[in-house]
Amino acid sequence: MARNKFDVDEELESPFNPQHFKRMLTYIAPYRNRIIITVILMLVASGANLIGPFLIKQAIDTEIPDGDVSGLTLLAGIYLAALIVTGICMKFRIRIMSEIGQSIIKAIRKDLFENLQKLSFSFYDSRPHGKILVRVVNYVNSLSDLLSNGIINLITDLFSIAVIVGFMLAIDVKLTLYAMAGFPVLAGIIFIIKNAQRRAWQKLSNKQSNLNAYIHESINGIKITQAFVREEENKQIFEEVSDSYRGSWMKAVRIQFLLWPSIENISVLTVSLVYIVGISSIANGGVTVGSLVAFIGYIWMFWAPLANIGNFYNAIINAMAYLERIFETIDEKPEVVSDPNAAELKPIKGKVTFDDVTFAYEEGSPILKNVSIDVKPGETVALVGATGSGKTTIVSLLSRFYNVTDGQIKIDGVDISTVTIPSLRKQMGIMLQDPFIFSGTIMDNIRYGRLDATDEEVIEAAKTVQAHDFISSLKDGYETEVNERGTRLSSGQRQLISFARALLADPKILVLDEATSSIDTETELAMQKGMEHLLEGRTSFIIAHRLSTIQNADKILFIDNGKIIEEGTHTELLARKGPYYKLYRSQSHSLAAG
Amino acid sequence: MGSIRWIWGYIRNYKRRFFLGLFMALVVAGLNMVNPWLSGRIIDEVIYGKQENLLLPFLGVMIGITLIRTVVRYSYQLVFETVSQNSIFKIRENLYDRLQHLDFSFYDKTKTGDIMARMTGDMEAVRHFTAWTIYMIFENATILLLAVGFMFYIHPPLALCMLAVAPAIGFFAYRLANTVRPTFSAIREQFSRLNSVVQENISGNRVVKAFAREDYEMEKFSVQNEAFKQRSLDSARVWERFLPVLDSLAGTLTVVMIFAGGIMVINGSLTFGELVTFNSLIWALNNPMRMAGWLINDVQRFIASAEKIEDLLRVEPCIKNLPNSKKIDELKGVVEFNSVGFSYGDEKVLKNISFRAKPGETVGIIGPTGAGKSTLINLLSRFYDTDTGEVRVDGINVKQWEIQKLRSNMATVMQDIFLFSDTIEGNIAYGVPDATVEEVIDAAKKAEAHEFILEMPEQYDTIVGERGVGLSGGQRQRIALARALLKDPSILILDDTTSSVDMETELKIQKTLKSILMEKTCFIIAHRISSVKEADLILVMEDGKIIEQGTHSELLAKKGYYHHVYQNQFGNFENQHSQEGVS
Ligand SMILES: Nc1ncnc2c1ncn2[C@@H]1O[C@H](COP(=O)(O)OP(=O)(O)O)[C@@H](O)[C@H]1O
Ligand SMILES: Nc1ncnc2c1ncn2[C@@H]1O[C@H](COP(=O)(O)OP(=O)(O)O)[C@@H](O)[C@H]1O
Ligand SMILES: [Mg+2]
Ligand SMILES: [Mg+2]
Repeated sequence: MARNKFDVDEELESPFNPQHFKRMLTYIAPYRNRIIITVILMLVASGANLIGPFLIKQAIDTEIPDGDVSGLTLLAGIYLAALIVTGICMKFRIRIMSEIGQSIIKAIRKDLFENLQKLSFSFYDSRPHGKILVRVVNYVNSLSDLLSNGIINLITDLFSIAVIVGFMLAIDVKLTLYAMAGFPVLAGIIFIIKNAQRRAWQKLSNKQSNLNAYIHESINGIKITQAFVREEENKQIFEEVSDSYRGSWMKAVRIQFLLWPSIENISVLTVSLVYIVGISSIANGGVTVGSLVAFIGYIWMFWAPLANIGNFYNAIINAMAYLERIFETIDEKPEVVSDPNAAELKPIKGKVTFDDVTFAYEEGSPILKNVSIDVKPGETVALVGATGSGKTTIVSLLSRFYNVTDGQIKIDGVDISTVTIPSLRKQMGIMLQDPFIFSGTIMDNIRYGRLDATDEEVIEAAKTVQAHDFISSLKDGYETEVNERGTRLSSGQRQLISFARALLADPKILVLDEATSSIDTETELAMQKGMEHLLEGRTSFIIAHRLSTIQNADKILFIDNGKIIEEGTHTELLARKGPYYKLYRSQSHSLAAG
Repeated sequence: MGSIRWIWGYIRNYKRRFFLGLFMALVVAGLNMVNPWLSGRIIDEVIYGKQENLLLPFLGVMIGITLIRTVVRYSYQLVFETVSQNSIFKIRENLYDRLQHLDFSFYDKTKTGDIMARMTGDMEAVRHFTAWTIYMIFENATILLLAVGFMFYIHPPLALCMLAVAPAIGFFAYRLANTVRPTFSAIREQFSRLNSVVQENISGNRVVKAFAREDYEMEKFSVQNEAFKQRSLDSARVWERFLPVLDSLAGTLTVVMIFAGGIMVINGSLTFGELVTFNSLIWALNNPMRMAGWLINDVQRFIASAEKIEDLLRVEPCIKNLPNSKKIDELKGVVEFNSVGFSYGDEKVLKNISFRAKPGETVGIIGPTGAGKSTLINLLSRFYDTDTGEVRVDGINVKQWEIQKLRSNMATVMQDIFLFSDTIEGNIAYGVPDATVEEVIDAAKKAEAHEFILEMPEQYDTIVGERGVGLSGGQRQRIALARALLKDPSILILDDTTSSVDMETELKIQKTLKSILMEKTCFIIAHRISSVKEADLILVMEDGKIIEQGTHSELLAKKGYYHHVYQNQFGNFENQHSQEGVS
């Protein structure tokens, strides 16, 4: 799995696909009826609009020369009425279309977010998070205009064109054919522009994504930046990223803006052609003067909606660059999925078996090799070993954050790959090595472990992990708002809170991955006392480096380089005088040497 | 108006191009009138007047003018895009620069999602304004003014009659502007919230999965997603009220013209020809007024975003260089705390802290979580300013140091390890971007990271994920340590740096550190006695105070907190030893 970083464009895996457009239509389809209503409104409105010139002509030709004031008043009245009708149509068009546009945006965003929830760790691990964010928020927003107004305009414009062509055909078929002569040329130009424009916009969306990723990471890493006085260097990198965004923007619009002048020039050329042909055909009696004049009037009208359609086409191509990304994310398959005929995992007792498990994050470099573990319900298992030996990996597999490469993991004798994922994870309480705190109150953060827990239960959990004292000493106590990632708490306090969260889940299997690494020994001891009765009846996995933390475990597994090289209780292992003994000696020595 | 002035400050740098663009827009507006006019002439003179020899010249002119017009239009569009992109580039740069220099207390209370919203969505609104709205306003205003001027020139009374509608349009336009602005502000706010909820979900994805809280997250998101839709619809509801009215009012101009003009013609105060001319000019009045509503919308949207950006640009960091700060390159590393007191807001976190450390000395800090250990060292790098007392480095108050110089001579491994999604090499060289490969490897070796890096698929070129995903906790800590060591600082600060590192590796690291710390001042915060016991000075902190200080043996002799912790960590061993009965 190659990881992406901020200055690397993401390759698009699927090629251009007209299906995307179809798929877009499936989002629009539910609003079919309302769109039809809007189109009708638009037609009424344009009908009312068309009355205007007619009324003026009438006034100028008849009422005014005749001095007919009451007739004139009547015309003015009709005109006003027409204006009101247009106004009302416009009002409903705005109402309906913004509703539809926003609903579609909302639906797309929802689908995207929903799939993001399903995606496995590996998806999040392999790219800067800013690049995911930009898809959910910004890309989707860029579709909004296209969806709310673009579609309606397209339909009404197509309609106007049909009507106008109808009129033109009614006047003269031959002239109409001449008037269409520009089409093939226009089609050719569009074809040429299209590919260049599509590439340009894909590039642009990539650059936008890179820029976002860099900003995002700069904000998250600001403390390191300032501590290492990297501000100037970062600013330069930022300028490069920002500049390449600007560059690709300019390139994209340079191509995009070409379409409109092409349409204008082609239109003027065809109009000229029609003049020439038309006038010469007046000479030989083909058309009448009146119909030529009318025809010319229509041909000017004909190109305006066509130019609009051109704009719409532009917008579609631009939107494609975003749509592709959005659909790519919606379609992204999670690596870890529940088997289609997976059963719910029944309430468990907590027997855990690793059966010859082999695992690699990246093919070819196995991290765990033939690991077999047998844990009886209610046992406490401690994992020790050098950092990077695979302890966290073992417990991640237990929650099925990744799929094993080989072997089986069983809980109560059931292979975990045959049960639904939520039913598995809901029975485990996991405290990850990096505690994550959500913005919100401390109360809500702990309650994340079990949403229906009462305040008392939350406080109980906090007391068990010795967090109650410091929480109550805060001005707002449990209602204290913490920010994203828990700024305003010390790291140890954050650990305590995520510890409490895991406990509150009241799990049959409890996983504590270096839960107390940033916590002082005093607190830890107090915590251990409080937890003694809590651990009864639960299977727990504890990872720690301080041996004092784990001595009382029922079973200690010594992990080295992805293998279990020793296994037994503290006393057994000491007696064996193997690696654990050595580790133990070095700890005690380092303390005693004082 | 403030926002307009603000954006002008940026556009001004491209004044010439900007005005050239406006001028070209003017030319195009003028040329726009040529084709309809020519078309009329062709019909009148060529078709009705039978002057067929004029046809080709007319068409030639028409084609020529169109060509010129489209080329000029294409050029000015690009001119405006350039001006706009350059301005945005500059704004973004200023914003980024500001963000780089804002202090920790700002980031403690600001959500990443909010800042992202400023840098993306709000920037887009400003872009749209500079690239499009400005010249549209200009173009329409010009056409409108020309038409009005011309109408007054032809027949002031009729022109006045028509302008009677203007106050009504003005009134509604004004109402629209005032009513729609808050809705745009609300959209911007909601956009921030949406950004925040998504961004937090992405960064917390592991916890979400661990607790199978996908549905809960979905709900949380749906609330914001729905609210975003609602805020957008609120805005649409305002347009829905005003835009049709403005549109119809613009239409009534025609009614007034035909009615009042007709009557004037009938009673002889206006000639028929004049009325026809008015009629041919009416679009030049109508269109801009129709556009007015949409443009006002755009302007308000711009202002709502611009204000947010301006706000962010205006935030001043509390921590900044004094006017004549000390710019000494080399720092010796004498550190003094003199009765330092500090609080984050109301809560007193440090109380009356005093101690002194010389180069070559190591200060160990130990104490319960939340005692204020990390806070203490944050003051040393001046990430926050003390409330009372002073922190001195080399005898100079840190407030008097130039911050960059001060920090360049320190290297901190913070308790929360942050790695960038970059190569391992890039991460280690973060503080010294031009370090050679050898230097990077050397630092990695000192931090006991070299071996495991070599085992990675692409070794030093392996890209780590956001925040160091793909590495184990202890591996991350060692990369961060290497990053700090590469800087070769005078003051080295290790905040709980080996908490996830196993003892054996830690011992090796300690040995290496000892040899390189000869002339440096070093701070080590830890929970394991073994990590601090070699220190020249050990501070035991509790509740923001130093409750004990001294060397390991002094503190043991005191039989206080330190002794107690020692007993807990070491006592176990003693018991075991006596049980085992071995040496
Ligand atoms: N998401 C990941 N992708 C690739 N490699 C990983 C990932 N997480 C951990 N590793 C690698 O797997 C090995 C074991 O890591 P881990 O289980 O976290 O160790 P620890 O025993 O310290 O908890 C390490 O070499 C680490 O670099
Ligand atoms: N950014 C902050 N804003 C407000 N309070 C904070 C902030 N950082 C830490 N605190 C509070 O200050 C106290 C000391 O924190 P800290 O120095 O991080 O403790 P530790 O000794 O564990 O490193 C804690 O009670 C913590 O809640
Ligand atoms: Mg680990
Ligand atoms: Mg700390």
